[in-house]
Amino acid sequence: MAKTEQRNGLELQGNTEKLTGSNGKSSSNGLEPEVNGSIPEETQVDKYGFTGGAQQSAGELAEQVPIAVLRQREAKWLEMLNSWDKWMAKKHNKVKERCQKGIPPSLRGRAWLYLTGAKVKREQNKGWFEELDIQPGDPKWVDVIERDLHRQFPFHEMFAARGGHGQQDLFRVLKAYTLHRPDEGYCQAQAPVAAVLLMHMPAEDAFWVLVQICEKYLPGYYSTGLEAIQLDGEILYALLRGVSPVAHRHLKKHKLEPILYMTEWFMCAFSRTLPWSSVLRVWDMFLCEGVKILFRVGLVLLKCMLGTQEKVKTCQGLYETMELLKKIQPQYTREGFLVQEIINLPVSEKNIEKEHQAQLRRWKESRGDLSCKSPPRMHGAKAIMSAEPPSRQELRQRPTIIVESPLAPKTEAAPEDEAKGSKKAAKANGHPTVLPPDGIVNLDDPSSTLQHTTTQGSKESLSSAEHDTYL
Amino acid sequence: MGSDEAYNFVFKVVLIGESGVGKSNLLSRFTKNEFSHDSRTTIGVEFSTRTVQLNGFYIKAQIWDTAGLERYRAITSAYYRGAVGALLVYDITKHLTYESVERWLKELYDHADPHIVVMLVGNKTDLESERSVPTEEARDFAEKKGLLFLETSALQSTNVESAFNKVLEEIHKKVNSKEVVRGSISAVTLNSSRAESQEEEKKPCCSNI
Repeated sequence: MAKTEQRNGLELQGNTEKLTGSNGKSSSNGLEPEVNGSIPEETQVDKYGFTGGAQQSAGELAEQVPIAVLRQREAKWLEMLNSWDKWMAKKHNKVKERCQKGIPPSLRGRAWLYLTGAKVKREQNKGWFEELDIQPGDPKWVDVIERDLHRQFPFHEMFAARGGHGQQDLFRVLKAYTLHRPDEGYCQAQAPVAAVLLMHMPAEDAFWVLVQICEKYLPGYYSTGLEAIQLDGEILYALLRGVSPVAHRHLKKHKLEPILYMTEWFMCAFSRTLPWSSVLRVWDMFLCEGVKILFRVGLVLLKCMLGTQEKVKTCQGLYETMELLKKIQPQYTREGFLVQEIINLPVSEKNIEKEHQAQLRRWKESRGDLSCKSPPRMHGAKAIMSAEPPSRQELRQRPTIIVESPLAPKTEAAPEDEAKGSKKAAKANGHPTVLPPDGIVNLDDPSSTLQHTTTQGSKESLSSAEHDTYL
Repeated sequence: MGSDEAYNFVFKVVLIGESGVGKSNLLSRFTKNEFSHDSRTTIGVEFSTRTVQLNGFYIKAQIWDTAGLERYRAITSAYYRGAVGALLVYDITKHLTYESVERWLKELYDHADPHIVVMLVGNKTDLESERSVPTEEARDFAEKKGLLFLETSALQSTNVESAFNKVLEEIHKKVNSKEVVRGSISAVTLNSSRAESQEEEKKPCCSNI
């Protein structure tokens, strides 16, 4: 059953079991677990892979999207991914809206790959990850990384087993990064970020998304000196004044510096702070719209916890306030509430950039020049794409598993039972029939798939109105 | 716990040392009697408190813990502010973590109160067979530098209480000794009446687990 909040609440006896790396569970494909588990029978894995800990879902808190809606969304996303450049150029608002609604779990990894521009990076640098992967790495970094492998999401089934595939892949991704950017090396907060990515995509993809996050979304966050995160802390605090004067005043009064509460929030993009369903919703928006989402989450949490006189009355000092911010009440972190607040908070890229300039000036006055000059950050998927427009080829989806679907039509005319829910739903809405990229593949001529789906995509994709109002 | 607790002093103590030496587990062992092989890497600041009774006084130890990795030292000045004690931790099985102790001391004296009480702590004595730092060597070094010294095992609970209690005792001595001007050790005194008259008023809920 669901474990309690104490993530480290294991007695010595329980830990002796852990010495054998015993969080293995029988895998669903019937193979023997790679490590002999001594997990008690009652341990359940939630739908995200958590067997315990504070982020294991309690069921009721997460939202349930009806299956029919989910299938519709999947169809729409497949459409978008098929002509990604068109959608980003002409219908970016729609992409943004769909990210705000939550990316369907089955396509989340792929969507993140496209949103971040990692897909393009991967295509442009074929073989690079492989090259880095086979190198031993700088012993200095390898040593530190190895010490951290069993300390990321230890209650997640993917990372629980010592030396298991999850930890191995985590090692590969983090080591590769230190080789890709030897001047940057490894920063501990990169590990949880990489772990989240690995829960959704294979190591090479996770590597490129990590690269994009570290270079485009949050440049300087993980660099020596940690200047970027300190600056963002000041920006957060400055923006708070407009969002919640009560909270701002309270933090000022008790001299609670931003670095004391926002470091883990921002460096891990809230992946260690929120219930898992909320983490995923935040990341869907963050990877689409950029760092302003992180600022909005921080501001919402501060406003919720410290935004009224009543709330701050219970917080008599710096320490008590820090404690309060470590235990955000569940009503504020649940998906439904939080996502709405984020969408509604009027804090824009412009606001952030303006405050950034102001804080940079202050920094220079009191501390001199920044020692680590990071490139300017890109505020989301569209900015990244505009800066480096990819070719069609680079965006082409290349499925690794191709099957000939028995349901796929051999002729032009599509049989009634093909494209199931999507087609029916489209008809019900009175739209022109939108077929998802179909399963027809002529194995002798793979290029036929590309032509077929591209044609389909360009005819239909830009016209569908949004009838999906689930948030 | 919490607001029901009465205490005479609050002492802020920081845990410092290389990544992976066991700072977080020393914290959880002392304040919650918990230990985990897979506790998460500390990013940002973690903290916990425990109130102990020393010589008739109730002392609330506010223990702060942060990331050990080199680059996090850039954000530590807020962390050290107001600290009156420090546990400088190394791993007895990893000589490198002992070698960086000098650097940590410099860091400490650069940022913290000059009268801060420091204890050198060699952690993980449960892994005696893998020891790479001889006890005597570390003890001599500590003595030379004017530091307290103990070896501990957060896993087995060995000497954890002693380590923290010793540091708190030394801090209390300094606070009481009047050698130190009130302002320079910023211990918060909430109730300075003598211990005897305290006994009736006090709610004895201190040494919490």
